[in-house]
Amino acid sequence: MLVKICIGSACHLKGSYDIINYLKEKIAQEHLEDQIILKASFCLGKCSEAVSVQIDDHPVTSVSPETVEHFFNTVIKESLIQ
Amino acid sequence: MTEHFIDIAYKSVNKVNEVLCGDTVEVVRENDKTILVLADGLGSGVKANILSTMTCKIASTMLKEGESVLETIDTIMHTLPVCKVRNLAYSTFAIIDISNDGLCNIIEYDNPPVFILRNNHLLELKKETMIYEDKKVFLTSFQMELGDQLVVVSDGVIHAGVGGIMNLGWQWEHVADFLKKESRLYKSAERIATALLDACNILYDFKPGDDTTVASIILRAPETVDLFSGPPENSAGDADFVRQFVQSPGKKVVCGGTASNIVAKNLNTEVETSLDYLTPDIPPIGHIKGIDLVTEGVLTLSKSVELIRRYRHQEHINLNAQDGATRLSKLLIEDCTHINFWIGSAINPAHQNPDFPSTLSIKRSILNELIQLLQQLGKVIHIHYI
Repeated sequence: MLVKICIGSACHLKGSYDIINYLKEKIAQEHLEDQIILKASFCLGKCSEAVSVQIDDHPVTSVSPETVEHFFNTVIKESLIQ
Repeated sequence: MTEHFIDIAYKSVNKVNEVLCGDTVEVVRENDKTILVLADGLGSGVKANILSTMTCKIASTMLKEGESVLETIDTIMHTLPVCKVRNLAYSTFAIIDISNDGLCNIIEYDNPPVFILRNNHLLELKKETMIYEDKKVFLTSFQMELGDQLVVVSDGVIHAGVGGIMNLGWQWEHVADFLKKESRLYKSAERIATALLDACNILYDFKPGDDTTVASIILRAPETVDLFSGPPENSAGDADFVRQFVQSPGKKVVCGGTASNIVAKNLNTEVETSLDYLTPDIPPIGHIKGIDLVTEGVLTLSKSVELIRRYRHQEHINLNAQDGATRLSKLLIEDCTHINFWIGSAINPAHQNPDFPSTLSIKRSILNELIQLLQQLGKVIHIHYI
C-alpha cells in the first residue's frame, strides 16, 4: 500500500512534518514496513483542504495532526485488511 | 572577445564607532563599457565620506562621458574642499574602466596597487607613470581574458590588524597570497569580496582601525538560471511553456508544488520527493529528471529571501547546507550571472483561504523582493509573466 502525503506549501504549514513523523513511527512500531510505503508528494491538488493524504488511487483525504492517529487506526488499517 | 559578463561586488566595513564610511565605490554600467571607482577620503567619518563620494561621482561621470584622464583628475583636485587641519584636498582613488571588448584601463592615485589575477597567479604589468602637480598617477592598460580577476582595496585592507594582532598589519604581499588561494575556491565576485573583507575583520578583531573596502571584479562566462514558479494563468499553454523552458540553455529551477507537477507531467515523468526533512521549517526538495533544482514554493522562496538578505548584510551563512532554500540561494548567489524568472499568474485557491497564514498569499511580493535583492547583487534579470 502506498500512502502519499503532500508536502506542498499549504500542507506543510498545516502539519505535514508532524503527520509524516507520526506515521513513520507508527509503521516502525507495528512492523508494517513491508506493507506500507510512505511517500512525500508535491501538491495533490486539494490545497484548501490541507493536509492532503492519498492511499493508492483512492480519493485524496484531508488529515490534520489531531486526526492522524484516528486516520491511521481506521482508514489505513482498514485498507490493509482489504 | 567571446561572450562575457563583468561580475562586480563590493563591500565595506566602517572604522570602529563611525556611522559613515570614508570609502566610496561607484559602479557605472554603460552599453559599451563598465566603470568602477573606489575612493578613500582623507580622515574618517563625514569629511572622508564627502571627499570620497565627490571623487567617485566626478570620476565616474566624466569618464562615462568620455573625458580624458588628465581632465578628470584636474577636476577632482580643483573641486574637493580643502581640509582645514591638514590644508589638503585629498582622496586616493582607483579607477577601473573595462570596455566591452575586454580592454581594461586602470588609473591609480595613491591607493594600494590593484591586484590582478589570472589563473590564480598575480599578473605583474608595466605601469605608465603620469605626473600631475608633483603627484604620481599610474596607468595600466591590458586585454582581459575570461576568468581574469581584479581586486581593488582601500588601505584599510592592507593595514588590517596593524598594532593589534600584527605589528605591521597585513601587507600587500600577504593579501595577494590570500587572494591567490581564494580565487581557486570561488568563482563569483561576491564570494571573493566577502572572503577578503571577512579576513580583514578578523585581523582587526572586529574593531576596524580604518574604513575597509573591497571591490572585486571578475570577467566571467555568462551563466544563466531559468526559474519557474507558479502555474501559468492559462493551463492550455502549459505544454508549450514546458517545452520552451526545458530547451533553455541555463540551469533550470522549479519552485512550487503545482509548477513541479506541470513540468513533470509535460515531460511524461513524475516528481520524486523525499520524506526526509533536513530542517522542520523547509519542505524537502523534489527531483524531476532534466531539472537542476525542484523545491516547494512560497516557504522555500521566503526562506531564500531571508538568507540572501542576511548574506548581503555580511552575516555568515552556510551556503553548503542541503535544504531547498539554501540550495536555491547558493545557485542564485554563486552559480549564475543572468536569471530569467518565469512567473505564473494563476491563483492558488489555498492562498485565498482566510484560514491560512498570510505567508502563503504573499508569494508575488516575495518574488519581487527576491528579484530586487538579486539586482543589488548585480545579477541581470529578465521577468516573464506567463
